[in-house]
Amino acid sequence: MRKIDINIGLSEFEIPPMQDILLVGKKAAIGPEAIRQMVSALSPDQYEVVRVDHDIFEAAVIKKSLVKLLPQDKLLPLILEEGACLATDKMVVKARVHIGVHVSRVVDL
Amino acid sequence: MLSVGDIMARDLVTIGPDESIERAAGLMNRYRVGGLPVVRDGRLVGIITSRDVRGSHGNRLVVDAMSKQVVVVSEDCSLWEAKELMEQHGIERLVVVEDGRPVGVITKSRLYAELGKYVDALTGLHRAEFLQRKAADLLQQGKEIAIIFLDLDDFGAVDKELGHVWGDKILQQVAQVLRGVMEDGVDYLSRYAGDEFAVVTTRSFDEARKLAWRMVRVLAEERWPHGVSVTGSAGVAGGRRGYMREEANEKWTVADLINMASLASTRAKKDRKPVIVVGRVELQEAG
Repeated sequence: MRKIDINIGLSEFEIPPMQDILLVGKKAAIGPEAIRQMVSALSPDQYEVVRVDHDIFEAAVIKKSLVKLLPQDKLLPLILEEGACLATDKMVVKARVHIGVHVSRVVDL
Repeated sequence: MLSVGDIMARDLVTIGPDESIERAAGLMNRYRVGGLPVVRDGRLVGIITSRDVRGSHGNRLVVDAMSKQVVVVSEDCSLWEAKELMEQHGIERLVVVEDGRPVGVITKSRLYAELGKYVDALTGLHRAEFLQRKAADLLQQGKEIAIIFLDLDDFGAVDKELGHVWGDKILQQVAQVLRGVMEDGVDYLSRYAGDEFAVVTTRSFDEARKLAWRMVRVLAEERWPHGVSVTGSAGVAGGRRGYMREEANEKWTVADLINMASLASTRAKKDRKPVIVVGRVELQEAG
């Protein structure tokens, strides 16, 4: 007697499927132009594809709202440095970035 | 004279930028080609080569692996210009375009095979066809040119005295010696026929005359096998572009110029003068 077990896993497809930043490896299975087409179809005008001059990555896809909080030239080097510690050039790495702004103001009474 | 359009492959295999690397690899394999022009809406947007394919994941889009800077030529580009472009850019193929649309591809191997027909196997110098084409090209660029025609004196006697094997060795040495006084990108030396050598140069007419003297002098000063004496007589003719518009006319004028220099070298030999200069002519539109 033969039996077949079927396991079904359901979850919501995340739109967009990436989070705040994607780092695209130079030999990854998907390149920057393909990612640009994907994000422009799934989340129009929300992400920007930035070509980078880096040993491992060839592009970064950044949520535009992030660079409003922190300029790209400050944010990107940090992300690339951290990403390079764990990624290879065949990977696409997604990163979640939380930026907290701390404000302390003094008001005259 | 042959141009790229005469020998290029016209049965183009192309690919779109949004197709996969895997498909590009499949096409290259099926049609046995090493590169594919990348075309969007009929216009050339890049080129992808087997090297690009080897270095990329098969799932990638062609646009993410192709070279966007494509070196292109038109159909009427000369084979020598195409060769210079390939060497300058270190590439294996050129895409031939007309109005931004690819119409063919010329590969390095095909080009070199064709150019080999214009190189003299004995001396490694270009043959007469190259000289004619180069002179026509230079005139078309608006440059003033001079032709130096050098005929070895009584070379038949060397062949008879030493035999043709030594005669050929001496011709090789003549080519080497003459090469030594040429300047790259300025003087273009060829073995015109048998014991005749010719140069098209962009030097001024007076400098061309000096070069002719130098050519004659270096031959006279060279030490030749078996102590034979090898000398030459040269004729110089110069010309500049007049009102030529069509290439066919320029070919005529170039032929005239070569003929003038050739006759001058014959006269030099007859008059026992090393160099005869026949003057500079204004090359007019053939009527």
